[in-house]
Amino acid sequence: MSENTLIGKPEIRVDAWPKVTGQAEYVADFSLEDVHFGYIVRSPHPHASIRRIDPFKTLQMEGVLDVITIEDVPGEKMVGDIIPDRPVLAWEKVRLVGEPIAIVVAISKHIAEQGGKAVEVEYQPLVPVFDPVQALEEGAPRVHASGNLVSHIEVQDGDTQAGFQQADMILEETFHVPRIYPGYLEPEAAQAQWNPDGSLTVWVSSQKPFHDRHLICQALALPEEKVIVRVATVGGAFGGKEDSSLAILAALAAWKTKTTVRLVNTREESLLAHPKRHSGQVHYKAGFKKDGTLVAMQITSYLDTGAYASYGPAVGQLHSEVLGGPYKVPNVRVDTYVVYTNSPIAGAMRGFGAPQANFGTESLMDIAAGKLGIHPIELRRKNIWRPGDRSYTRVRINQAESLQLSLDVAEKEYWRLKNIPPAPGKVSGVGLSLSVQTMGLGYRVPDDSAHALEWLPDGRVRLYLGAPELGQGLMTVAAQITADALGLSLNQIEIALLDTSQVPDGGVSCASRMTYSVGNAAMTASRQLIQALIKEAARLLDIEPALLHYEKGHIIRQDRPDLAPIPASEITSRLAENGQILKRQAVFSFPYGPETPDHLPIGMPHVLFCFGAHVIRVEVDVELGTVEPKEIVAIHDVGKIINRATLEGQVEGAISMGLGYALLEEMKLKPDGTWVDNLTEYLLPTIMDMPPVIKVIFLEVPEESGPHGAKGIGEMGLTPVASAVANAIYDATGVRVKAIPIRPEMIIKEK
Amino acid sequence: MSSTTPLLTGKSKNDKIRKTLGKVIHMQSFDYFAPRTMTELHQLLHATAGKIIAGGTDMLPQIRNTKQSPSLLIDISHIPDLRYIQENKEEVLIGALTTWSELLESPLIQKTAPALTQAAAMVGAPMTRNRGTLGGNLGNASPAADSLPPLLTLDAMVHLTSQNGQRQVPLHEFLAGPGKTTLKADECIRQISYKKVNPPFGSVFMKLGARQGMTISIASVSVLLTLDINGKIALARIALGAVAPTAVRCPDAETFLLGKEPSTALWQEAAFQTRKAITPIDDVRGTREYRYHVASILTRRALESAYTLLQE
Amino acid sequence: MQLIQVSLKVNGKKYQLETPPNRTLLEVLREDLRLTAAKDGCSSGECGACTVLMDGKAVNSCLVLIGSADGHSIETVEGLHKTGAPHPLQKAFVEKGAVQCGFCTPGVLMAAKALLDQNPDPDEEQIRMALAGNLCRCTGYTKIIEAVQEAAKELHHE
Repeated sequence: MSENTLIGKPEIRVDAWPKVTGQAEYVADFSLEDVHFGYIVRSPHPHASIRRIDPFKTLQMEGVLDVITIEDVPGEKMVGDIIPDRPVLAWEKVRLVGEPIAIVVAISKHIAEQGGKAVEVEYQPLVPVFDPVQALEEGAPRVHASGNLVSHIEVQDGDTQAGFQQADMILEETFHVPRIYPGYLEPEAAQAQWNPDGSLTVWVSSQKPFHDRHLICQALALPEEKVIVRVATVGGAFGGKEDSSLAILAALAAWKTKTTVRLVNTREESLLAHPKRHSGQVHYKAGFKKDGTLVAMQITSYLDTGAYASYGPAVGQLHSEVLGGPYKVPNVRVDTYVVYTNSPIAGAMRGFGAPQANFGTESLMDIAAGKLGIHPIELRRKNIWRPGDRSYTRVRINQAESLQLSLDVAEKEYWRLKNIPPAPGKVSGVGLSLSVQTMGLGYRVPDDSAHALEWLPDGRVRLYLGAPELGQGLMTVAAQITADALGLSLNQIEIALLDTSQVPDGGVSCASRMTYSVGNAAMTASRQLIQALIKEAARLLDIEPALLHYEKGHIIRQDRPDLAPIPASEITSRLAENGQILKRQAVFSFPYGPETPDHLPIGMPHVLFCFGAHVIRVEVDVELGTVEPKEIVAIHDVGKIINRATLEGQVEGAISMGLGYALLEEMKLKPDGTWVDNLTEYLLPTIMDMPPVIKVIFLEVPEESGPHGAKGIGEMGLTPVASAVANAIYDATGVRVKAIPIRPEMIIKEK
Repeated sequence: MSSTTPLLTGKSKNDKIRKTLGKVIHMQSFDYFAPRTMTELHQLLHATAGKIIAGGTDMLPQIRNTKQSPSLLIDISHIPDLRYIQENKEEVLIGALTTWSELLESPLIQKTAPALTQAAAMVGAPMTRNRGTLGGNLGNASPAADSLPPLLTLDAMVHLTSQNGQRQVPLHEFLAGPGKTTLKADECIRQISYKKVNPPFGSVFMKLGARQGMTISIASVSVLLTLDINGKIALARIALGAVAPTAVRCPDAETFLLGKEPSTALWQEAAFQTRKAITPIDDVRGTREYRYHVASILTRRALESAYTLLQE
Repeated sequence: MQLIQVSLKVNGKKYQLETPPNRTLLEVLREDLRLTAAKDGCSSGECGACTVLMDGKAVNSCLVLIGSADGHSIETVEGLHKTGAPHPLQKAFVEKGAVQCGFCTPGVLMAAKALLDQNPDPDEEQIRMALAGNLCRCTGYTKIIEAVQEAAKELHHE
């Protein structure tokens, strides 16, 4: 288009200045005038019946406004993101440590907490179950009356029995992946205000304000127009803030007490009670021919969804689709079991089942390579999808050539890193992994992103961005694409507060598709807005629209080239004088063409893939078993770089999360029977845990349905890290780890 | 120290003073006094059951998670007499309120107790080092406290003060168990001292944590070596942390080293001998077996390193 | 309930406060003085989101009892602007893309300022050590390091 395009420029983030000056407001920063505080009474037991809840003593305390229990919920008592299996507040049973039972609302947090401690709850502890395989056995404690199996996802293609018969070598391996905490720096928070007209205004730190509104309305039996959800500055999300529970509780408390109530989780509450990444055990049986051709795979996976399903069934689906990796597997059978236990809830978290699959699959490829005497890079090259190939979900692979490209680039980096000698006293190893991540919510799951633009009287354009900025840079990318489409500069774009009564539903900020969906909607809306401007200009000038031409915020008359271009503000301000506004809205629906395979359940398959490769060099202290990442090269095909700085930021951040997954993090039961619930024990990577060198290489193989060819990046940078680390450790020490987080004891033990 | 009407409401006599809304308080209630002199401190300790708080980096998290529920906190951070690093002919004297940062930046400590300097560099993060005090590290008596192995190798003395007078107790007698000391209810740690070791000596501190930054020790070791004119070991002190109810010296390993000719095999055997002095446990950071293993490896490496320093 | 009197200087301005003693400097800054840049990320000194400077040294304000802060001088992010001009650290963080969700940013800025005030020309290792107590989940720290290096260069030229 024009040489002044904004696409590809590393524009400064539009939300950066308020954040470095301290002006950006997160929910807990709001004014304290007339705000009451809620304290949530939570279960100390992982599994128990509730005999009695008695708030009598608390209600007598000075400063306490109310104690809210399930009886105060006027509407749906059970909610859920996919399955409505979760009580708004527990009443007959608790299923995890930290489950909310009551909310004490008081004039101060201190009093609310004192009040909370005085609420008497009588429990009858029940035997808990914490392992998903055990939970499926005969006689296991029932977490829900319906049984512990949430869903069983089956995917089949070809004939695995015949496939294994063709194999020259058959491998069987089991891998374990841990429960992970999203670890955003801002703990969950919500503030709800009851308005005199009976409506509620709810401020959230959330990825899905429209769905929050829906669930709040369900629980409070209120029509949609009575609940307004507004998104504050969000301090990180990573999937963990796709959970509406705190917003519902704040709304309930405000509605019941007819005041403003703020709920802010402590870090402990966040660690215990808020959704995590599914832990799992994945059993692989894979058959290869002598020459490395993968002929069959049979995979059984158990994902622990904890006490409530949350997004478990959907995580299980995506997981099942990528368990075969980015490889041609003619004969496949996948069985994924999503299982209830009394562990902390698992739900959406960055990668959504793909990291759990990647660890096993990419480790397995290296194990197979070793057994076959073929280099791990060659083995992958032999089996990766080529253009024209289909996955075992029968989806035609987009940009399959990215895989070959990624591998070629990765190979060069691999040999470069192999030539680096280790520091004295250490051994060095290099590992490589391919990454496959899907985009979108899955076939037949509504996946629309609506986007509105308004041309303001002063010539600036206001974006009604209906999907939240989480820190990932969505506002900036949306503004950049819009400004570029309109030929304006970035500072002529203004972004409206995300208020569900003012902006259209832009979709949930997740699934690596915000740039894609929002970008597409913004481009369409921009085109429509320009057409509308031309039409209005024509009307005002009383000439044919065909004689007008739009360029960079101005209308130019083809018939009068001698006249100066008319700035858009002249038109919009004239309209404003007449009480008219110039606004257009467009909706982008995630595209599923007629050829989309429809033999799988709703939510499957995903049809757009993102590819990449990671190469990691580690140094291992073989006596202590400690592992230090020294250099990480991340290669990712993004289709088209819109903003390099935000893209790099996403990959670098995802890498740190991936290193935490590989080496440090685990939400687990301690020897004393309590859950890890603080940051001294749940170890997030510090700046000193990052490798000295991180190299990010972007490939641009355009996706024609993407805005300027762009695809997604949000999750891809995380997915291959753990397997690449494991492969590097093997290269360095000959020790193959089959569980993460990788502990020094694992490396020493095997020696 | 005033006490007036309850928070949240109430009018102040002095309009310049901001009244707090007090809405977001997270902590249990306690009374608070901040003595400005040693005399005031002694009186408070004598007359009340108050708990001492200095930097607060250990105490406040414990109050928050109700591991501790003091009804009265005595904040000694405003007593200037307790913050110093001094020396006389024989000893180095460290005031109890000396922070980790002050230890880290002190040339005197670097010269006379380099292992303590190394420990200071690896404790927590800058923010904890700027507030955490040496007295607090001793008083909190975590089995993993990083100041303890270096101080044990220096045979440090803990100086305690109360209204009844002063007393000194060797550090190893001061430490009684995980989180326990022999501090009396009316006492406060005033100072930590150690006798200077005549150079040349080699002294090293090493620790292993689960991550590279801001990490609690899975195991830690401090060693101090000197050689006689024949090059044989004259002085050998080895102390280990995080592998027993308190940080401990390893008398068997030390005795074994005395008078011997340094060699790789010697360090290896001494490291093995440390097993007798320690009783590590399983916890969220590591298993018992791994701790035995790490203690041995770190001891050997520390001895090697200390010996190398002696040769420079 | 006991109340104590506390005087402190914050960003150059003197304050006299009357408060219950069971509060931290973080709570007082955020609630009484409405300086909400410093954040509560963990209330236990493990994340650094509450970092402010006390007499020029970086501290976790969630672990400073308000009584302990009596008589001391505090600097927060709100004081980084000098008569309209942003501090080179703020500028560098914006320009280098070192800000994503922004929640860790105020704490990181103050820890970085403490470093640069003491050591105007730090190497990368020193920058890492200075920020070891500030957790960030979004950026992976890479651009944070670049921003501090950029700010150091600019401060050199002033």
